[in-house]
Parts: sequence; structure tokens; C-alpha cells
Amino acid sequence: MSASIEITDVTKRYGELTVLDDISLSIRAGEFVVILGPSGCGKSTLLRMIAGLEDVTKGSISVGERRVDTLPPGQRGVAMVFQSYALYPHMTVAQNMSFGLENIGLPKAEIQRRVLQAAATLEIAHLLGRKPAKLSGGQRQRVAIGRAIVKEPKAFLFDEPLSNLDAALRGRTRLELAQLHTRLGSTMIFVTHDQVEAMTLADRIVILHNRRIEQIGTPMEIYQRPASRFVAGFVGSPAMNFFPVESATSNGEMLTIQTGGLGSVGAVIRPPSRFSLSGASLGIRAEDVTVLPAGQPGIPLKAEVVERLGDRTLIYGHLTDGTKLTVEADGRSEARSGDMVQIALDTSAIHLFDAAGAAHHGEGG
Amino acid sequence: MAESYRRSQWSNGLFVLPYLAVFVVLLAFPLFWGVWLSLHKVDLFGPGRFVGLANYGRVLVDPVFLQALRNTIVFVLVSVPVLVALGLFLALALNRTTRMTSFLRGLFFSSSVLSVTIVTLIWRFVFIPGDGLLAVLSEALSVQPVNFLSTSGWSLFSVGVATVWWCIGLPMMLFLAALQQIPNDLYEAAALDNASPWRVLTRVTVPSIARTIMLVAVIQIVMQFQLFGQAQLMTNGGPNGTSRPLVMYIYEVGFLRWDVGKAAAASELLFLIILVAAMAQYVVSARKSEASE
Amino acid sequence: MSADRSTYRPENMTANRTPLTIAAVLSVAMMAPVAWLLGLSIKDNMELKLGTDSVFELPYTLVNYLNILHSSQVFGWFFNSLVVATGQTFGVLVLSSLAGYAFARLEFPFRRTIFVIVLFGLAVPEQAVIIARHQMFNWAGLHNSYVGLILPDLSSALGVFLMTQFFKAIPREIDEAALLDNASPLRIFWKVLLPLTLPAQATLGIFTFLRAWNDYWWPLISATKKEMFTLTIGIASSQINFAQTEGLGFLSAQAVFASLPVLIVYLIFQRHIVTAVSGGAVK
Repeated sequence: MSASIEITDVTKRYGELTVLDDISLSIRAGEFVVILGPSGCGKSTLLRMIAGLEDVTKGSISVGERRVDTLPPGQRGVAMVFQSYALYPHMTVAQNMSFGLENIGLPKAEIQRRVLQAAATLEIAHLLGRKPAKLSGGQRQRVAIGRAIVKEPKAFLFDEPLSNLDAALRGRTRLELAQLHTRLGSTMIFVTHDQVEAMTLADRIVILHNRRIEQIGTPMEIYQRPASRFVAGFVGSPAMNFFPVESATSNGEMLTIQTGGLGSVGAVIRPPSRFSLSGASLGIRAEDVTVLPAGQPGIPLKAEVVERLGDRTLIYGHLTDGTKLTVEADGRSEARSGDMVQIALDTSAIHLFDAAGAAHHGEGG
Repeated sequence: MAESYRRSQWSNGLFVLPYLAVFVVLLAFPLFWGVWLSLHKVDLFGPGRFVGLANYGRVLVDPVFLQALRNTIVFVLVSVPVLVALGLFLALALNRTTRMTSFLRGLFFSSSVLSVTIVTLIWRFVFIPGDGLLAVLSEALSVQPVNFLSTSGWSLFSVGVATVWWCIGLPMMLFLAALQQIPNDLYEAAALDNASPWRVLTRVTVPSIARTIMLVAVIQIVMQFQLFGQAQLMTNGGPNGTSRPLVMYIYEVGFLRWDVGKAAAASELLFLIILVAAMAQYVVSARKSEASE
Repeated sequence: MSADRSTYRPENMTANRTPLTIAAVLSVAMMAPVAWLLGLSIKDNMELKLGTDSVFELPYTLVNYLNILHSSQVFGWFFNSLVVATGQTFGVLVLSSLAGYAFARLEFPFRRTIFVIVLFGLAVPEQAVIIARHQMFNWAGLHNSYVGLILPDLSSALGVFLMTQFFKAIPREIDEAALLDNASPLRIFWKVLLPLTLPAQATLGIFTFLRAWNDYWWPLISATKKEMFTLTIGIASSQINFAQTEGLGFLSAQAVFASLPVLIVYLIFQRHIVTAVSGGAVK
């Protein structure tokens, strides 16, 4: 039984320090929302406010139709999976899972039914009699999820739950979480600083930066049409290339932008008339830059470092004026460091940012 | 206003209340009442009249008090450095994990769990003339036996020996714990730098545990100023009060002669001395470590 | 390179054995007085009267220990010590755990101020309060009673300080998980956090027991009736009338008997005690 979550004008202050400033966010019932942001952006604080572990300085939070920000954590109908799992060390797995149900006075038979069912789902039935110290990291993680599932909560809150797992296990657990979401259809809010987790798990991603929401959107929207220069630089690996804009002229259809290293670039972008050039920048992702076959004229790039990733090759280099640029080339590329290569831009994938960071995208993007 | 689980609530204070009640009644109140008592003439027959600082005056001119003060200071000045140095030596010697060292650590600490009564009994049987272990040994070696417990000078010394024997465990353990905190790579770096064992000790080990040395010294100063049971039971302060410490003076004045006001004044003075000594030690060490940085 | 040349071993660096040898010699000096006491305790009193050098000769006897069994007095003192030490241990554990939990985890008005005041209590030596306490207990008529012997040291701030540290060391997420599990503060304390402090409880308990068992100053002035003596005071009183006593052998046997409980506690819990003492140094 999942519920929608409504966060309205929420502000969090610690004394003089404002951590979150006027956050509003609507989450549909059954939606998987990932809150993504650099460390210290307040994403965990937002999650903990929904859980009731931090109080709300201003604004309101509702789960379903009920306003919850005045309720103690246990009465909000949400379950949380902590980064450290926070299993009770002195209780067995079964006791860990049933503790919360005992606290609300559920009948023994019902508790047992739920625990066994969750254990079967998570394939931890054989661990029920063990204490957390006797479990591996991945098993603890499952128990923590199981402890949340048995409560049949209106929403699941995940606080970077994969960050303590090794890389292989993290990938597998990510997949299982996605399956779990499909099966349960529950509302899930997942906090992470890992963009791969965000891109793969989320129905919608919320990018949090500098006390505010920078953008809310599907993974593809976030990636292809970043709302700000911050989002553009934060999401995607390697990071987007940026170039300061020197001047631009528009003929109504095409915008011709002058930058230092790239020279003159034509893009199908219609910025608003009050768009100011001072402090503006042009952005393009590495995969939207191509290396031209030898002999074809293009923009010259001096390759400094070449990273061969197998399926693709990353070339880190600089333009004639010294501006740095990263290009994603084919996995079979033969470019070597020190080489001079000719490159071309996919002008439809150019992004333009004004001095404040607000983004304007090409029609093709 | 939203409510948080961390929200301050009076009812949360109920958890502290039982202890707080005991604290106020049995520690805070007596502390202040002790000061009140020291300003009044009080005896066995109940509350007396306000006499101002007269009790302090009587204490400070009392030759018995002054002698006890001198004895105590001498005792602290000798016993504390011995305890610190010996404790540090034992810790350095036993800072390894073998069967032998853990046995010795356990042994050197074991005396600390005995009560003062047992300790003094043990050492009286060592020191008593005629029948004591030392007397028997000196007879066997045909040495003139010393009457340790009733010879001026030797009596306080004997009390000191018993005290060091009793108290050596704590400094040793504290030093051992501090030594184990020193990261091993410091020693490895020192070895690669060709440092001699002595230089490793003086340049790596001792500076690393400077804080603990200060801590041990302060603890021991505070403890040894409160010397009582050993002196009372081994020498009863004798001969002629040459081994009577301050606490024993307070005990005699307050609980044998029932001059409660005067005893209270003496105990306030002792409290003050302990505070000043501990603070002075702290300040001096803090300044020293600052200067050396 | 010659094959018989052994490789350099880093541990040889620290292989200087002189300090350890000196420590071993000191340990003999440490044990000698105890050995002497044990020797006296298994000698007949009449024989000792003729000269204590007879300790080094046969015959030995357990008669002194058997005499303790006939001395109801020593057993009474033993029982008193047991009641006082157990009562005080229990009281300190209850008070310190409750207060430690609140100081570490709950918010209430003046929490910081109260905690700082309690910490000041650590700096107050016993002799600064003992006279006033004696007067108070006099008026309350509590001298020569178990309550009178148990109460004063319950005020020690050390237990509260230690338990606060122990509760603080438990990750906060544990209580947060319990909060999301709908547990009340009391239930979190009792079912979740308290079980996690059991090792700390053991440490604090052992220390309190040893301190109570060995306490001298307060029982000396509070328990003035012979039947209310603790073992520590009882042995002291036998010691004071040393010369005319029941004899060196019997006195030694009493001392050994009185030390047995603490030595047993020490042997069983040695590791706990060492950890606790060492923990203090890290701060």
C-alpha cells in the first residue's frame, strides 16, 4: 500500500546555517525517486526530515493524505534503510525484523508470517537465527531491507544503502532493488551521490545542490537537457566540456557562437532576447565530439592522455589556445598521446549557459 | 512548530533525576555544608555558632597541622616521581605480548585490588621489629636490624614503600595503554633513520605519551595527598607525629576529638591544596609541551 | 652472497632484554611480602611466638584457616562487606545507566549545564565532603546501617561519566532505527541500548565492587559497632590490637581470607579491568 509524498516549501536551518532552502517536491504513489547531489548538499537531511529524524524548520511534509511532519518517526508509516544498516547487534535477524512489529502490538502469528515471507523474498530465510556480526555485508544489507519490508510501509527511504558494498555486489544489489520496486510497487526515495545508481534506478531524479533543487526530471531529461550548468557538469562521465562564450550573433535560425579554442560554432538554439553574453558558456559532452578520419579538416586537438576503456576511448587534450577538451572516440581509435587529431562537434547537442548557470538547449537535444 | 524526536523535553530529564538527587544530597550539599561547618564552632552536641575564619586560624597555628602538612608534602614529592618513573619503566619493559609479560603485568597490577587494610598488614609483617621479614633477613645476614615503623624518618619511608607497592599498577597500566597508541610506523621510520634505542625512547616514545605522563602525575598527586590508611595502620602517625599525614590529622580532630569545625577547616585547606597542586602541575606541563613544540 | 648468513630480522631491534630482566627481579620483590604472609598463615601461632624464622621450616598447618570458620565475627564482617559491595554495585549501575543514557541521547532543559556540574563532582575528593556527610548521617540516624554504608559512594560521578561515554559510543543510527520501529524512549533504553552496554556494565560493576569492598575511610567512621564492621574495617581493628591478638598466623590467615574475593574477581575479570583502566588513558 504505497502513498504519495508531498513536500511543500520545506526549509531546514541549524541556527544561522541554512541547509535546505524552500524545497518543494511531489512524489507519486509507487514512484522511485532518487535524490542525487554532491556530499553536504543536504540530501540526507531531506530524507531524515521525511523520516522524522530531523525536525522541519519551515514548511510541511505529507505522506498520503496525512500531514506527518508533526508526528514522531514511528507513526509516519515510512521505513528507512540506513547507510550503516543500523541492525540491532544483540538481536538475531528474525528479532531485528520483528522488533518494530512487536512495538505496534501486531499478533505473533502475523509477525511470523510477514518475517517469513520477507525472508523468503530476500533469500535470507536460512539466516533468521543469526546475529548481525555473523553476516556478510551483503547479507546485512538484505536484513536491513527486510526489516523495512515487514513493516509494509507507505514509503521506503534509502540513505545511500549501497555505499558500503564492494563494486560487484553493489551492481547486483542495484538490480535487485529495481526488481523489488517492480514487485512491491512501493513509493521509494533513494539518496545517493552516485550518478550511476541514480540513472539506473530512478523514475525521476531530483538534483540537489547548494540548499536547493536544481532540477527534477527523468534520467534522460537530466542527462540530455540539464537545467543548469551545475547539473550538466555533475551528471555524466566524463564531465561535460565547457567553453567561455566571447560573442554570439543570431540570424533568427542559427546562433553563431564565438569561443576561444573552438572558434566559431553554429548552434540551433533560441535563447531569450534578454540573454546576456557576459559570463555565458558553451557546453558539449565528450560523446558529442567526434574524431575525424585523418586528412579531414576540423578543429585541431592535441591529445595529452588517452584512456582506453575497451568499448570506447577517451582522449584528454587541449585546443590551440590551451583550452582543455575531452573527446569520446571509438574503442578502436588509434590515437596516442602527443598526437594531433582533428575533431568536429555535433552542433545539435550544444548547450548554452548564462552567467547564472541557467541552460538553453539545441532543438535536436 | 514541528516536533522532533530530539526535541528537548522535561520528561527526558526523569532518567537523570535519581542520580541527580543522590548527587545533590550526598555530594553537592555536603561540599557546601563542609564550608559552612568550617566557619562555625561545631562539636558533638550539634550545630554551633558562627565564628568566621577562627577555625582556619586555629588550624594554621596548630603545630600538629603544620607537621602533618610538611609530612604530606614530603611524601607527595617523593612518592609521586617514584610512582611515575617506576610505572613508566615497567610499562616500557612489559610493552610486548608474551606469556611472561602479560603474567608480570597482571602481577604488578594485582596489588591494586587489595584493600588498604591488607596492604598494611602485609607490610607490617615485613617491617615489624623482631618478627618481620626484614628483621629475620637482617638477622640471617647478621646486619643490625632497623626499627622501621617507630624510627623517625624510617616510618614515613616504610609507609611510602607500602604505598608504591600498592599503587604501582595504575600508572603502569595507563602508560602501557598510551604506549600501545603510538603507531608502529613511527618506530619503523625511526629505525630507517638510524636512531639509537635511547634516542627512540627520548625523541619518539616519551614525547608521544607526554599527555599521559601529565595525567598520571596529576592522578597520583591527588591520590597521594589523601594518604591516610597506610600511615594510620602502619605507624599510627608516629613516632612523634613524624609520619602523620593531613587526612589523618583531619580524622583525629574530627572523629576522635570531635572538633568538627576545626576538622572541616583543615579538610577545606587540604581540598584547596590538592586543587592548586593539580592545577599547577597541569599548567606547568601544558606550558612545557607548548614550548617544546 | 653467502648462504649461511641469516637475514636481518626487524624484531631484533627491540630485543634488548635488560629492562625485562629488571622487571622480573622487581616482581620477586613484589611477591616476597605476600609469600611471607602466606607462610605466616600456615604456621602454628605458638611456634611463631618463638620466632618467625620458623616459617622456613616444617611443619605447616591449616589450623588458622580452620579457626576462621569458628570465628563468627569474621564471617559476619564478610557478609557485611558482601551486602555493602553488592548493594553499591547495583545502585551505581542503575543510576549511572539511566543518567548516562539521558546525557548521551536525550534532550532536556539544562542538559549541558547539569552534565558539566556533574563532571565537577569528579574533582571533589572524599575528604572534602566526609565530615558534612558524617554529620548528616548522624542526624538521619543512618550510621551503623547497611543503607548508611551503601549510600555515600552512589554519588560518585565516575560511573555516570563512564556510562555517558559508553552510550555515546553506540552509533546513533541504532536508536534512529528503533525510533522508526515505533519504540518509546524507555523501550529504546531497555531493549535496544542497555543490552549493548553489557560489557561496560560489567566493567563498571567490577570497579564499583572492588572499590566498595576495599573502602576504608567511610566505614571506619560510619560503622562503629563491631557487628556492622565491613571486612576491611574488621581486619584493621584486629590489626590495631596487634600485640595481644590471636596471633600472627591467625591474622595472616584472616588477611588471605579477606583478599580472596577481590583476587578471585580480579583473576576472572582481569581482561575487563585492564581494558577499563587503559580506556581511561586514551581520553
